Amino acid sequence: MSDVRHGTMEELLAVRDGEGSAWARGHVEACASCGAELYRLEQMRSRLRALPQYAPPRDRWAVVAVQARAERRVRMVSALTGLAAAAALAGLLLVAAQGAGPDPLAARTSLRAAMARSQAMERTLRELNPDSRALNGQAAAAVADLQGRIEALDARLGDPAALGRDLGRQAELWNERAGLLSALVDVHTTRVALAGL
Amino acid sequence: MADTIPLAEARSLVARAKAGDQRALEHLYRAYEGAVYTLARRLSKTPEDAEDVLQETFLEICRSLGAWRAEGSLWAWIRRIAASKALMRYRREKVRAADALDEDAAVGFAEDVPLRLDLEAALHRLPERSRTVVWLHDVEGMTHEEIAELMGMTTSFSKSQLARAHQKLRAWLGEEGAVA
Repeated sequence: MSDVRHGTMEELLAVRDGEGSAWARGHVEACASCGAELYRLEQMRSRLRALPQYAPPRDRWAVVAVQARAERRVRMVSALTGLAAAAALAGLLLVAAQGAGPDPLAARTSLRAAMARSQAMERTLRELNPDSRALNGQAAAAVADLQGRIEALDARLGDPAALGRDLGRQAELWNERAGLLSALVDVHTTRVALAGL
Repeated sequence: MADTIPLAEARSLVARAKAGDQRALEHLYRAYEGAVYTLARRLSKTPEDAEDVLQETFLEICRSLGAWRAEGSLWAWIRRIAASKALMRYRREKVRAADALDEDAAVGFAEDVPLRLDLEAALHRLPERSRTVVWLHDVEGMTHEEIAELMGMTTSFSKSQLARAHQKLRAWLGEEGAVA
């Protein structure tokens, strides 16, 4: 009966991984029990690696593609929105300087309020962190539709030359944008509430 | 697993995907969805969580394509994102307390009931942290340093988790664990 200590599991794993101490490497050469255990650990690693691969139960590509496109669009639109806001303000200044329009003060106030509503909804949407949970097909379709409509609106808002100096029309578009964002918030809020059930 | 796409092709696909080419992005998705989902299943509590990890991983890939160093393995980069997403979900759901209970229960199970499990069942029965370390180290080939950084733990913790996991697997698998 030998009183030589055997290698611990951690020491044997280190030997298996080529990082063992000189003592442990020498010991497994001399000790049949630890040598067998080392062989078993090598076999276990091989068996783990040979386990079959899982296949995703559902094809998530469509959802990923929609969200990836939406995120890409948001990144581009963020830049565009900044430009549009600057253009709108420039328009306001021009109108004010020329004293044009039936009631320029009311139109300016209305436009500013519409832009503020849209920005507030953007913040609410961001706070909901809509990417933190997977969308089901129905929600993804609703989100894609709303995002498509917002995208179309942003294209119009990003083209001040086409909008001209019609502050009332600009305010309408910004209000419409705030409404679509509000609908997006509703979709995500409902999803969060359902997920919490 | 090894990279399923040769490096030169990966570089080209990533460059096209960065420019907004959806077909290139889908090609990447199709090439790695199985591997990402398998990793996510091994690291997650439920198949539903694994599906969420798969989706979150590819959205993160879309956001971060510019961060991949084109000279390194694309799978190693994707694998790190997937493991990180799975671990984030694990932390977010605050399952650590429950996990500790699972671990205690598992020890009792191993000592008191000499059941014979197959490897798949035994792996699933491991506490989540131990299973994560076993999978990332023994199957994915990550070093203890990489695992420690990913999990916010020390390398000693990673090594001890691996040893404990193998002790449990041996107990649960019995003689089967000693045979190839």
